[in-house]
Amino acid sequence: MKDLILIFISTLLINNLVLSYFLGICPFLGVSGKIESAFGMGMAVTFVMTLATSISWLIYNLILVKFGLFYLEYVVFILVIASLVQIVEMFIRKYSSSLYQSLGIYLPLITTNCAILGSALFMVTRNYKFLEAVVFGFSGGLGFSLVLLIMAGIREELQYVNVPKVFRGASLTLITASLLALIFMGFSGLISS
Amino acid sequence: MKEVIRITSVLTLVCIICGLLLAVVYGLANEKIEINKEKRIEEALTILAPEAINVEELTIETETIYKLSNQKRNLIGYGFIASGQGYQGKIKMLVVTDKLLEYIKGIEVVESLETPGLGAKIQKDPFKNQFRNLSITKDIICIKNDTPKESQIKAITGATVSSRAVVNTLNKRIKRIREILNKN
Amino acid sequence: MKNFTKGLWKNHPVFRQLLGMCPSLAVTTSAMNGISMGLAVIFVLFFSSLVVSLIKKIVPHQVRIAVYTVIIATFVTIVDLFLKAQFPEISRALGPYIPLIIVNCIILGRCEAFASKNNLRSSLSDALGMGFGFCWGLFLLGSIREIFGTGSILGIMIMPANYNPLIIMILPAGAFLVLGLLVAVMNKIEE
Repeated sequence: MKDLILIFISTLLINNLVLSYFLGICPFLGVSGKIESAFGMGMAVTFVMTLATSISWLIYNLILVKFGLFYLEYVVFILVIASLVQIVEMFIRKYSSSLYQSLGIYLPLITTNCAILGSALFMVTRNYKFLEAVVFGFSGGLGFSLVLLIMAGIREELQYVNVPKVFRGASLTLITASLLALIFMGFSGLISS
Repeated sequence: MKEVIRITSVLTLVCIICGLLLAVVYGLANEKIEINKEKRIEEALTILAPEAINVEELTIETETIYKLSNQKRNLIGYGFIASGQGYQGKIKMLVVTDKLLEYIKGIEVVESLETPGLGAKIQKDPFKNQFRNLSITKDIICIKNDTPKESQIKAITGATVSSRAVVNTLNKRIKRIREILNKN
Repeated sequence: MKNFTKGLWKNHPVFRQLLGMCPSLAVTTSAMNGISMGLAVIFVLFFSSLVVSLIKKIVPHQVRIAVYTVIIATFVTIVDLFLKAQFPEISRALGPYIPLIIVNCIILGRCEAFASKNNLRSSLSDALGMGFGFCWGLFLLGSIREIFGTGSILGIMIMPANYNPLIIMILPAGAFLVLGLLVAVMNKIEE
């Protein structure tokens, strides 16, 4: 149990997928303009990431390892992710058109969200057990959502500020991210093992 | 229906062709990859125990231990891999000890993903040299300030987590190896 | 020819299109790492565009993204195996970011936006242009971070002996900062 909590907190804050490992930057820059869209994207990513790491773990440990097919890892994982996103999209479209309206365009983008493939790959290199992999996927998604929401909050405020022309847009977002990364570095003192 | 069949068959065909291509490339590359892994350990052993002319690889209770003997075939020590979670990823070290496991002759970091400029300093001499002839009759302790005494090493400033990870990994591993060697 | 040059400046994948950020920030801790990643991407981009452009007529529309991703993943695996076998230090340095080339938006982006709609020759020039553009972008980013973060470039010390390196440059915060400033500089130049 302690291990799971450790993984949860460290992935959420200390080894945040976005600020420490640079995963999920494209949506981080693109979707963090408004709190609403950030929230929707965050939830979608958390959902897909948790499922992706779980299913990838099963396929990796029960099939690939058994047959020594390690070199198929990347191809299999990306297929799992692409299929998951496709299924999730179809599911949402059928059962909740309101949710589909608000999330709609972001769903296909999740496939190329490096954070999802990244979390699946890390799960393998860190040799997580099944439950650890699920927690890792979940906290990874939450960590991504957290950072996305903070950034959205800041950017909504920045709208009212006079920004010099050259810094507008991605430039300012990146510099803000730099400060966020610095702040999150402080969390590394949380865990002293 | 015809659409679905076409879609699935194209996708399956692509996957099969790619799978086969990868199998071929893997077959060609695998040998070299394994050789590279072995070379790394050999190089580390040469640095840490240059007088060990004879290296015998043993597998006891699923653990790999290198028995190091000199020219006259006298046992001079043991070598083994210690691996554990660091700050950014797995840290893998080669450890060489004397034959009684009373002190470490030295360590070499074989794999590390620690932060460049900070945790990555565990791969540099100032940190590694602290482990030369370090007594391990008790657990190694990682201290932050003061001068280290026997069985103590000083953490890298700004990289306490990485330094501690090294020490914890070593303690755990030495305990395990000691256990195995005593039983056999 | 124009297809080649647009990727080098006018339509630069990182500084103008803002794609491929993940690896740009992650592996540019040194100039060498930047170049290595750049070369790996050129390889994957070139061959993926090649295959996609050749089979574009027989891939059904609905499944094209899945097919392109499988093709990209295959070439990335090949690069990964190649590096592990021939250049193990580089493989260790670039670590998990090699497989992440698969989801590098630049590659899927070019396959979808260009290679799937143009003939072989144009697709290849486009791929090479974008690839080399990406490469020099990474080299620039990596060099700046390496010079200010460690005082050296490509392993050679160039800062005076009493230079106190700004470690922050090699850390994530520094990466975001340098890229943010570079984008601002590029914006200024385009004005």
